Amino acid sequence: MSRRSPYEFEGPAPEAPVWWTSLDDYATQQDTSPSARADLAAEMPEGAWDFSDPVSRRGFMTLMGAAVSLATLQGCRRPVDKILPYARTPEDVTVNVTSFYATVIDRRGDAVGLLVESHEGRPTKVEGNPDHTGSHGKTDLLAQASVLDLYDPDRSRQPTLQGATKTYADFEGALREALTGHTSNGGTGLHVLVQPSISPTFVRLREAVKARFPNARFHTWEAASASNARAGARLAFGQAVVPVVDFARARVTVSIDSDFLQTDPGVVRNTRSWAEGRRVRSPADEPSRLYVVESNYSNTGGNADHRLRLPSREIEAYLKALAARLVSEHHIDLGDVAAAVRGAQAPSGVDAKWVNVVAADLAAHRGASALVAGTRQPAPVHALVHALNQGLGNAGQTVKYAPVADANEADDHAAEVKSLSDALNANQVQTLLVLGGNPVYDAPGGRALSDKIAAVAFSAHLSMHADETSEKCKWHVPRAHWLETWGDAQSLDGVVAIQQPLIQPLFSGRSDIEVLGLLSDAPSYRGYELVRETFRTQNAGNGFERAWRRALNVGIATSAVSPVGPGLRGAEIIRSLSGRNAGAPLSKTNLEVVFAVDAKMYDGRHANNSWLQELPDPVTKITWDNAAMFSPKTAEELGIRGGDMVRLTKGNRSLEIAAWVLPGHADNSVTLPLGWGRTRAGRVGNGHGFDVNPLRTVEAPWFEDGFSATSMGTRYPISQTQDHHRMEGRPIAIETTVAQYREQPNFAERMSPTPRTLPLWRAPNAYEGHKWGMTIDLNSCTGCNACVVACQSENNIPVVGKEQVGRGREMHWLRVDRYFVSPRGQGDADERATSDPAMAVQPLGCVHCENAPCENVCPVAATVHSTEGLNEMAYNRCIGTRYCANNCPYKVRRFNYLNWHNDGVYQPLDGDMPEIVRMAMNPNVTVRFRGVMEKCTYCVQRIQGRKIEAKRENRELRDGEITTACAQACPADAITFGDLNLRGSRVSELARTDRRYKLLGEIGTQPRTTYLARIRNPNPEMQG
Amino acid sequence: MQIFPRSLNRLPAIVAIGVALAGGLVTSLVWYYFTPKHTHVGYEPRQPVPYSHWLHAGQMGMDCRYCHANIERAAHAQIPPTQTCMNCHSLVRTDSARLAVVRESWETGRAIEWVKVHRLPDHAYFDHSVHLSAGVGCVTCHGRVDRMEVVRQDQSLSMGWCLDCHRNPAPNIRPVDQINNMDQNLSGTAQPPRQLAPPQPCSGSHR
Repeated sequence: MSRRSPYEFEGPAPEAPVWWTSLDDYATQQDTSPSARADLAAEMPEGAWDFSDPVSRRGFMTLMGAAVSLATLQGCRRPVDKILPYARTPEDVTVNVTSFYATVIDRRGDAVGLLVESHEGRPTKVEGNPDHTGSHGKTDLLAQASVLDLYDPDRSRQPTLQGATKTYADFEGALREALTGHTSNGGTGLHVLVQPSISPTFVRLREAVKARFPNARFHTWEAASASNARAGARLAFGQAVVPVVDFARARVTVSIDSDFLQTDPGVVRNTRSWAEGRRVRSPADEPSRLYVVESNYSNTGGNADHRLRLPSREIEAYLKALAARLVSEHHIDLGDVAAAVRGAQAPSGVDAKWVNVVAADLAAHRGASALVAGTRQPAPVHALVHALNQGLGNAGQTVKYAPVADANEADDHAAEVKSLSDALNANQVQTLLVLGGNPVYDAPGGRALSDKIAAVAFSAHLSMHADETSEKCKWHVPRAHWLETWGDAQSLDGVVAIQQPLIQPLFSGRSDIEVLGLLSDAPSYRGYELVRETFRTQNAGNGFERAWRRALNVGIATSAVSPVGPGLRGAEIIRSLSGRNAGAPLSKTNLEVVFAVDAKMYDGRHANNSWLQELPDPVTKITWDNAAMFSPKTAEELGIRGGDMVRLTKGNRSLEIAAWVLPGHADNSVTLPLGWGRTRAGRVGNGHGFDVNPLRTVEAPWFEDGFSATSMGTRYPISQTQDHHRMEGRPIAIETTVAQYREQPNFAERMSPTPRTLPLWRAPNAYEGHKWGMTIDLNSCTGCNACVVACQSENNIPVVGKEQVGRGREMHWLRVDRYFVSPRGQGDADERATSDPAMAVQPLGCVHCENAPCENVCPVAATVHSTEGLNEMAYNRCIGTRYCANNCPYKVRRFNYLNWHNDGVYQPLDGDMPEIVRMAMNPNVTVRFRGVMEKCTYCVQRIQGRKIEAKRENRELRDGEITTACAQACPADAITFGDLNLRGSRVSELARTDRRYKLLGEIGTQPRTTYLARIRNPNPEMQG
Repeated sequence: MQIFPRSLNRLPAIVAIGVALAGGLVTSLVWYYFTPKHTHVGYEPRQPVPYSHWLHAGQMGMDCRYCHANIERAAHAQIPPTQTCMNCHSLVRTDSARLAVVRESWETGRAIEWVKVHRLPDHAYFDHSVHLSAGVGCVTCHGRVDRMEVVRQDQSLSMGWCLDCHRNPAPNIRPVDQINNMDQNLSGTAQPPRQLAPPQPCSGSHR
């Protein structure tokens, strides 16, 4: 091997794949002409340097004058600080000692047990509860971000009646009066719209209300409803059960349009077990294999070993063909159902390998494989997946069926909306209660409902914001945040946990169960009493108080229920599968439109959460907006570029939306993310993105064909980060296949070697004490972005707004880079590469170089090295030269161009930053001001805190005691933090595994963060 | 032949004035920054309640930790809640005029607004508990509080002052069971309870 120059990058090896972040980037990498390179070499996007803020010279002078005089005053006189102790100290509060309380959050039908950090009664950070089976100490993106919803200054503060401020007593009086009319007629004309719930108390109270008003109607609706899965289970088994997949044991998984790693139910549980099944400790380990069939490019698709892009409506045909092959070739026993799939053909254009090889792989792993159907697919697909899992012997092995939390919930949520709208149209509704949810915004035909709702005699809407639905209802009642109110939640495997509030309702909100308690005429309708009552009935006998306290302490009330083994009802499945025709072939004039649950906004309920707005979408990297996703081929046929406004039309329905070209998307299919384009979400969420609900219908809530798209000729500015912090085509997110890994286990380090040159000067530190380090296992990381929000929450990281993100000024200390990966090749390689690339993700924060380039250039020694190897930032020394950021090869330093916390997103800001926003801050981390550089600190406040604890107890630190916010949140357990000098510590073991490599090792920075390369497990049969 | 232009005639005067100004500036800067005035040593603000540490801690010998409880496990030394005062003063001197503010706070539930004496520079994080467990006594940083009628800042609390001890802690270590003893001579008399490694890098105090 020739000697390699240590400080020069020689360009990628000829056989290495192409890593690229966007279509522009791909084109640049293929085109080596200087002009193309110059285009993208400009790190900052166009206009990044414009100073066009709406600050006038007069405003600037006023502010500067005030600042100067204040500074002068401060210099002369010591400010008088006050200390305000409690008059009476609350029980269990020790000032400045953090406490944790166990509670639980409902995340799309699964319960995630949590431990919430509280500072003097102020919850600031969400962590997983290690004892809860839905969490195992881990959390997801939305659970992490939901703490910010609590401190949203735009939350409604008191009940209103047609805009006029009222009190709760007024509302209760009015409701009781409205109910008196219903007591005589058994509730005829009383309609309650609720969201699907996994709370046993909710279910109990709803049944109590039904008993009191037998003629009352409950309608269940959620825009991100998973009711198809429920209906599918009922089709297959005659009862509503949920499949809980153990991905750790499934050696082969086939995802049928399911995004089980990001938006489908059970994300935390799924990610954990999936990562366990993928774990590679040595070349002897065999990671599991994942096939994904989907239309949109989802995060799950990004983790697939083989991915087939198909329009959503054709996936059913593919599944039937797969089933037929399994029956005919591999003699899988599907019973009666076999008749329904006999002779089924895969949709045209699908490579026969996708049927034959996948079927063979499944058949070779009977009892150790799994099929998963996405919530978007219709009930018959779910039923067929159940039948296949039974036939393959997976049921009871890798797929277990658990009873649902709410057996009486309706199976078809779209029909529920329909029945409500029928009742409204027939003027049969006298009293309408909307508990949570926002049907005027997100129900199919919601806009048409709104006038009807306004005409109802008594209507009330319980919600956190005075939103689109509140506007149409007579009463609006503030709803309590989940951290403010008592409740309970049952996880997919049947574990019930108590939702314990950490704070009194900030705006005296009420919960759903409290309003139901009022309706049911319960003796007390305080949440606490209602939840205790449920628990009391489940735990009859003595020792209730003891059991209750234990449930609150541990965070678990009842243990998992044993799985059920329901029998298949073949005839029903056959009936449901027959007579379903795909319709006319898709083309650029007959487009399929697919609605997708948004990874950040969910169904729109998180629209006013600035952390989520600013978080780049895990796949598209778009911030502050959604867009219609087109495949490169379809976009080219229609003459659409990313950022063009397009009009989607079918019949009298049409939608104007920005287009985005997403490599790997299915052709002739358009994905529309739900939850955007809110008009009454609050100051943060209003006017961001496009509301796609007007295209949704009761008949086809998830996908529908027959649409046409036309470019409107106008452009829409989209702020996305995929080309920020570029890495110029170097081998960054290193990966290989199992076969090549076994051939050369240390392949990664060979691609990114550390130079063996002598250092210029003696290393100042020997690192004899602690030596902090981190490993990030790219093989486990799914790119879910939970770490990014966890970091934001822990470290008081500000948001900057859409315009500033467009200038590349986002502040995330930890980002998740997403690369598309395609093989290098000739001929039509470009076409294949951009239409069907694989995906690689890489979380990247400060890597804490031992030989840090940033430290050498700081003129004021504001960034220096600690004796434990941390690259430290002393904010009060920083004068903002930004030399360090320019000299950082990893592009992880962030500069406060403005005082983001104050000049941030709650605009127009009346006065100073609202007090309530400050309550979300972590008191152990400095809130940085304008003009200061910042970056990942390895959560130094946690390191120091645990060190102090250990010193106080005169003992050594234990491994795993200190963990960073990102590592603690990561549901895949991809991030490990610890002491590299501690013998046997997890991080030191992992940093020595053969897949290790140092990012840009060849430039000799000696990072403390070690990456472990990703191992794909492609099926050799699928190649060639 | 004139070598120097006429304009240089004023040079001596300019130099003299410049030297005088610079000298004055240097003097005033030294005056301010090199004396305890800058670090506010001796800062002794009026408190809303004329509470006497001399009486309570000195004459009556109350343990510091009776009021400043939790100090052994918390970063902050807690200023006692009104409740702590009322533990005794609901029985002792129940109608003293000097205690009117305390009684009012107890009745209304509103906090007493004590004036902060020991103010650390911004961005500095300090933890009392870890210093106590190492054997640094109260008196080392806070002085003879038992002799103060009104609490006064005794030490500079500057970064250099912190680092002096972090670089060489031994002279300030006393037996851990003597941390609340106000005898300054006890400092430096004991072996620390553990291998002391006080942090000197920035992140030890700045996060």
